Amino acid sequence: MKGKRGVFMRKLKELKREGSSYKLSYFFIKIKRIKYWSNFIYRLGIYILLFGLGLVFIFPFLYMIVTSLKSPDDLIDITVRWIPKTIYWSNYLVASGALKYFTYLKNSIFVTVLCVIGHNISCSYIAYGYSRFKFKGRDFLFMFVLLSIIIPPEVLVTPLYIQYSKFRWINTYLPLIVPSFLGFGLRGGLYIFIFRQFFLGLPKDLENAALIDGCGCIQTFWRIIFPVAKAPILVSSVLSMIWHWNDSFEATLYLTSSKKWFLPTMLPKMYDTLKSLQPDDMMAAIFYNEGVIMAGTFLTVLPLLLAYLFLQRQFMEGIERSGLVE
Amino acid sequence: MNNRRISLRGRTLRVSQGYLFVFPWIIGFLLFFVYPLVQSIHLSFSKITSIKGFKMEWVGAANYIKAFVWDINFVPMFISVVKSTLVNTPIIIVFSLFIAILLNKKIKFRAFFREIFFLPVVLGSGFIMQELIDMGVQQQVIDLSKIILLPQQVLQYLGSNFSAIIQNYLNLITLLLWKSGVQILLFLSGLQSISKSLYEAARCDSATEWEMFWKITLPMISPIILLNVVYTLVDSFTDINNPIVTYLVNVSIKQFNLEYGAAMGWIYFIFIFIMIILMFILSKLFIHSSYER
Repeated sequence: MKGKRGVFMRKLKELKREGSSYKLSYFFIKIKRIKYWSNFIYRLGIYILLFGLGLVFIFPFLYMIVTSLKSPDDLIDITVRWIPKTIYWSNYLVASGALKYFTYLKNSIFVTVLCVIGHNISCSYIAYGYSRFKFKGRDFLFMFVLLSIIIPPEVLVTPLYIQYSKFRWINTYLPLIVPSFLGFGLRGGLYIFIFRQFFLGLPKDLENAALIDGCGCIQTFWRIIFPVAKAPILVSSVLSMIWHWNDSFEATLYLTSSKKWFLPTMLPKMYDTLKSLQPDDMMAAIFYNEGVIMAGTFLTVLPLLLAYLFLQRQFMEGIERSGLVE
Repeated sequence: MNNRRISLRGRTLRVSQGYLFVFPWIIGFLLFFVYPLVQSIHLSFSKITSIKGFKMEWVGAANYIKAFVWDINFVPMFISVVKSTLVNTPIIIVFSLFIAILLNKKIKFRAFFREIFFLPVVLGSGFIMQELIDMGVQQQVIDLSKIILLPQQVLQYLGSNFSAIIQNYLNLITLLLWKSGVQILLFLSGLQSISKSLYEAARCDSATEWEMFWKITLPMISPIILLNVVYTLVDSFTDINNPIVTYLVNVSIKQFNLEYGAAMGWIYFIFIFIMIILMFILSKLFIHSSYER
């Protein structure tokens, strides 16, 4: 490209020296055409790449939906791959019945919402302390915030279990909710980090004005800074929502009775119950097949997906604006 | 004199306020971090004599020795996890950077593509994705991509050995692509924070896109590469589907061998810690910093 350009410039100079305006304009038209076509091919290549990669990314999702709508006959039929012959809704009925969908949906939503609220309140509050005030041991303590992200939860699981059983928290939602209100829990340190990055980039004039007007520092935070921090709040709520919803590790560990479980933890149980329903019956194929499993899986992620689609635009803009990467 | 006193008072006030904000974190830190951490170290060096009341007896490094010498599963598993991480992390970083650069161009449906590339993260950072993979979804992706990229004739020509290798790599890459949603987003926001004037200046000096990538984009984005590498490492090490993690949970909770589980957890953590420290030291050599914090 560079060499070509040099050749063009030299030719242009020659033409200018000759002073032939006709040739000059012809030359420019030629350059324009070459530029247009090379640009066109370049753009086409980008679109093809993006569509190809996008297909890989969207594939599991499409597969899930299509399979969940297949009837048992369609599942066996090899010729039916992407478009089912009949749209077969009763997979969803079977799956939601076996999952006890609405009871567990309530559990899942309850804990996820509480944890997201807890993470937002606590992490923004703590991050404000780390970003605005200079106190002894601040950097030392912040190092531990980063360490709490890095350390795998499995290392701490055993002593935490012992501790929770001493508190009599086993089989309640407290082990999931309380840490998130104190800036810990599932990747709590990460949200502190996100909020801190945002506050570091925020001008101090706003809170100085509030302080001069006699606003205390805590009041300043809740009334002035917290409402401004929309971008990091969105980012951390979406991430926290996704991770809490999909987490089945802590739930199976601390919740001993399956009545308190969540949708993702119920999924494997659903398979087992469906499998054991009619082990050697012809009817078994209707109750336990790929279609039903996919319907159950789709029902499990459906609320999360809806919430994500609702929030995604602000979320993407939030990630770009929160100064997460500077 | 008077002036100084005021400023001093101001400073102490500021200090106490800082602690006020960090106070909830310190409670959480002591309850959910320091105490279990110390307990876990203690546990890893001892043996539970009675489960009721958790009475422990100091046995020294016996659990650690058990992990390295007696346990036939641990060391091979550990090495395989390390190997796969060393292979996977660069692939994830390169692909997500590539996709982010594509997305950063002026294209139509940009928002739509962004949404799609984050979708696998929403679908399941754990169990659900695993379930889909078990059903053979990724095999179907590969079948689809083989129709487009590599027709059957080419594969036959290359021979079964070579095509198996290609198949393996496609397999791996599809799996890794699904894990790279967050990394793509981080890179994308990093790319957008690079000032446009740099590219304009380079264009005036007739630089090509390729040159601009190596001389502008890569140095400017290097801190985010570090961030992403650390994120990928942590994410892959704490993944529930990681064989070491499943083994650890299995030993400590299902077999109730708590002290041995704690010891293995510590070996694992120390390894991760060393990796991340190494990353930071390496990054000091390569990362371009335009300003000091």
